[in-house]
Amino acid sequence: MDLDQFRVELDAWLDEHAQELAHEHPGLATFDEQMAHLSLVKRLAYDAGWMRWGWPERVGGLGGSTLFRAYLGEALTSRDLVEPGIYSMTEVLVPTVIDYAAPALAATMVPRQLRGDETWCQGFSEPGTGSNLASLSCRATRAGDGWRVTGQKVWTSLAQYAQRCVLLTRTGTPESAHRGITALFVDMDAPGITVRPIQTMHGAPEFCEVFFDDVPVPFDRTLGEEGQGWSVAMDLLPFERSTALWHRAAYLHRRLERLLETAPAESLDPARVGEVTQLLYAFRARSRATQHRLAGGGRLGPETSIDKVLLASAEQAVFDLVEEGLTAEVTINDDPASERWRSEFLYSRAATIYGGSAEIQRNIIARRLLGLGTDR
Amino acid sequence: MDVDDLVLFERSLAHATGSHTGPALDAALDDLGWDEALPDDRRAAVSTLFELQGAACATSSALDRVMIHALGVSAEARAAVLPRLGRWGPPGAADRGGAVHGLATAGFSDHDVAVVVAPAGEKAVAATVATADLTLRPVHGIDPWLGLVEVTGAPKHTEIGPADWQAVAMVAQLALGHELVGASRTMLELARKHALERVQFGQPISSFQAVRHRLADALVAIETAAAALDAAWLDGSAQSAAMGKALAGRGARIAARHCQQVLAGIGFTTEHDLHRFVRRILVLDELFGSARSLTRDLGECLLVSRRLPPLLPL
Repeated sequence: MDLDQFRVELDAWLDEHAQELAHEHPGLATFDEQMAHLSLVKRLAYDAGWMRWGWPERVGGLGGSTLFRAYLGEALTSRDLVEPGIYSMTEVLVPTVIDYAAPALAATMVPRQLRGDETWCQGFSEPGTGSNLASLSCRATRAGDGWRVTGQKVWTSLAQYAQRCVLLTRTGTPESAHRGITALFVDMDAPGITVRPIQTMHGAPEFCEVFFDDVPVPFDRTLGEEGQGWSVAMDLLPFERSTALWHRAAYLHRRLERLLETAPAESLDPARVGEVTQLLYAFRARSRATQHRLAGGGRLGPETSIDKVLLASAEQAVFDLVEEGLTAEVTINDDPASERWRSEFLYSRAATIYGGSAEIQRNIIARRLLGLGTDR
Repeated sequence: MDVDDLVLFERSLAHATGSHTGPALDAALDDLGWDEALPDDRRAAVSTLFELQGAACATSSALDRVMIHALGVSAEARAAVLPRLGRWGPPGAADRGGAVHGLATAGFSDHDVAVVVAPAGEKAVAATVATADLTLRPVHGIDPWLGLVEVTGAPKHTEIGPADWQAVAMVAQLALGHELVGASRTMLELARKHALERVQFGQPISSFQAVRHRLADALVAIETAAAALDAAWLDGSAQSAAMGKALAGRGARIAARHCQQVLAGIGFTTEHDLHRFVRRILVLDELFGSARSLTRDLGECLLVSRRLPPLLPL
């Protein structure tokens, strides 16, 4: 299978199964409906093989280039079959579990995630730990047969739907910073876990507070070695800024095109339309190069921070333009299409915050790409 | 070219652009056989040379050669008239043999004949003219080191055939885009070094977040343009080349603003090299369409078609 063949065959399959794959709730679906639909699309795509391409055979994949994954997400997003934000957890968490979980565990769990039978979440941020990830304090202690976890996470996307969590815990002393962190793969139905969804500004309970009260986690659920959690996290973060962003570019392209189709004459400034289109083109060009580097066996690193800065600029530029061209839709209209534009506009405000804030990305660029040393 | 050839090619060009400028650089390019690389691997020849030329703030008549090569006409001429400031249409007048109004690279007057392209209905036609029949004004302007020449007149045209002006504009925009990226990278390097060396409040100013974020933004702007230019070579469309040029122009202005601020007092003097690059990018941005004019034009086209340019496939 090469990329061209994959593209042609997948497109044909998507055309053929358009009805089964289509949203039951067109317009703005509720978050529950979006999640249910994501599982449906993943299951159909997995059972037909598409969702398995680009993943290693040892975890139920069919092997082949990671570009297949990039194209699959692009095709699903372009056809409005999945929302790229909730789809992205696959691209962010599965590579980490493949690299760091015990082989048998990865082989059992990964197919469930890819098939949409399970949702996974990422327990990184805490009330006192946002940009300064190494300061986290959710504690795991050894208790005979396994870890006991006590603490709190917050901004945990999809935790209320999740069966598993890739969780960062403090196993060293409170002062051990990045050295004393251990990553665990936790069952969300373990006793002692409480999940409280948080209503966001854009109208979806996308993330949650998660409380851990003496939660038992077997030792064989440790990702990597004890104390290696920082490496796990550092290897995971570039995945937030690679294939998932390629999918997001396809989504932004579709929405900008929709804006051009629907915005009233004279409502858009040509100079702004030109600038936003160029920015989106450049973001896609940058992300494309990242996909090819990844497919060529390259290791992703701090250069993906440029991709993230570009995504945030492009996403906010697209939706600033939406607000200019479809002002009534975003501000006062209450039909489903308007509600969707409004929700997406509001969500775009988070693009400079989630997945490492705009400031953190610039810190990484300054230190790692420009060699400016540490900041004061 | 394979990887080894490319490395060697880039090394020789880096040496040439680093140690020569103007006619001496043209001679060095001749010695290297840069012209022969054009039909061989145009992307490598153009992107490598122009990025290095921009990085060194050097000048050459390579843009003329790129234009003439893209025209695909067999002309003996080695000089070409560029569009006038801010424009990207052919520099000749609509009626054949009419007026010429454009710009030219340094050394234009050393040539006896030059190629001029004029619009002819929907298409364009190429002709040679005697440079002696043109009025040439050496441009001092904001960047005297660029040696630009303003070209006007109504010379006698010797028609050499129909011309694909879009192909000329496309490759010229890509070349200038790479030159802008090269100049921007040097500005960033100058500012980066200064930030690491300059000590205030007892520490290098590179430790201050306000300074670091300016330089990070400059790098993002440069890489944005570089990615778009690479993609434009791949998809080969005129619209993509124009987007690449516009992003390179805008990126260079962003880099110039941040780097000038970080270099502060010393960067405002002629004792430091920064000012040459600041001057250079302002003029390069205006050749074959500025960021502003190309962007507005793109937006106007999109608002008519109401469709985005086709996606560059994975």
